[in-house]
Amino acid sequence: MIDDWVGHHHSRPHSPLSHVPAALKLGVAIAIIVITVLVPGTRVSWFVGASIFLALVVLISRLPLLFLLKRLALLSPFVLGVALLNALQPVAGASWWNVAVRSAICLLTVILVSNTTPFSSILRVLKFAHVPSLLVTTLALMHRYLFVLTDEAERMRRARASRTFTRQHGARWRTLATVVSQLFIRGSERAERIYDAMCARGWK
Amino acid sequence: MNTALEITNLRYRYHDGTEALRGVTFRVAPGECVGLLGPNGSGKSTVLLHLNGLLPDKPGLDGTVRIFGQSVTPESIETIRHQVGLLFQDPDDQLFCPTVEEDVAFGPQQLGLEDAVVETRVRRALAQVGLADYGSRATHHLSHGEKRRACLAGVLACEPLVLALDEPTSDLDPRGRREFKALLRRIDATKIIATHDLELVAELCSRAIVLDHGLVVADGPVLTLLNDEQLMLAHDLERPHILRHHHPHSDDSA
Repeated sequence: MIDDWVGHHHSRPHSPLSHVPAALKLGVAIAIIVITVLVPGTRVSWFVGASIFLALVVLISRLPLLFLLKRLALLSPFVLGVALLNALQPVAGASWWNVAVRSAICLLTVILVSNTTPFSSILRVLKFAHVPSLLVTTLALMHRYLFVLTDEAERMRRARASRTFTRQHGARWRTLATVVSQLFIRGSERAERIYDAMCARGWK
Repeated sequence: MNTALEITNLRYRYHDGTEALRGVTFRVAPGECVGLLGPNGSGKSTVLLHLNGLLPDKPGLDGTVRIFGQSVTPESIETIRHQVGLLFQDPDDQLFCPTVEEDVAFGPQQLGLEDAVVETRVRRALAQVGLADYGSRATHHLSHGEKRRACLAGVLACEPLVLALDEPTSDLDPRGRREFKALLRRIDATKIIATHDLELVAELCSRAIVLDHGLVVADGPVLTLLNDEQLMLAHDLERPHILRHHHPHSDDSA
């Protein structure tokens, strides 16, 4: 269940996009995001053009629409929250849709790049672009252990479900809090072991 | 005796007060393959972490650990880690890079080797463990057995003189176990294997050391110790089946 949201079932399906160099995809994505953020709200043609371009990319990428919508739903709340606050303001009320459209274009761009490019290729481009190595290492470790942690969370969720005999909401929240705290503890212990494993192979 | 590693009166207490080692002493000769046996919590993994200088976590070793005559100290730690390769119990702890080849290259890169040398070592290590075509595979997509072999490749790429293996066959299916055993047999380094897999020890090791409650309780030829039913049972172990009857795959080289 957790994997439905953060998993990678649809990453890199075979499509013409898989063969496009990672540097080019990343460059185009950054350009779209920067322009979308900076362009004045009155330039509707840019938003329409970018949306048509992304729709074409979705078609070529062969990524399932439902999967993309789930990802968007997962990533949107923070930005849409800002849009909602904007909508409630009497003066700038009309611009809420602007924030929503901008965020949708940016998020869809990021989702498309991350699901049509192997993460290791993205990291290689970042290294090549002289992004600080500490940041690249942190990103690599985060990507590597995200799946280990989600697997662990899923195993704990199943174990909890198999011994949950009540539908009381209070009890559910309490056990969920226990699972989350356990996940943090296990995560931190694993981090220690990973650090040991890195040191064992000469990490300085 | 010419020694690869020498541990003298080693003591260690974890932060929670657990006394893991209470004066462990033994020596291992170059090229020897030694099984480190004992029940859960006997101190096997703690001994292995000391061999690589990962313990104690604060300076001030209680006892001495020497690798080829050199004491494990904060000053000697880089040389020691070059000489001792440690295979961790959980492959997910050890495979921290996105792809197999990047992970195998990690150690040689830390040694400061040139790119061409690193590439040669990666290719050789992957071929050695039978993963020659797995270089570009994502580490989190490997099966458990493949992860184990990728971990071993990462250690072998550093060309260690001593291999310390922590439960190398745990969680492997019978075929994976056989293949991994055959792989270990082909490696020339001095090996110290902490394990509950007594059949592995019977087949690979010439000598066994039994630890219990942080102390060495027996040290001798592997078959003598493993055939001593009383000793085995007294320390929550058992005489392996392979010594009771012939196993059809016991001399299988996978």
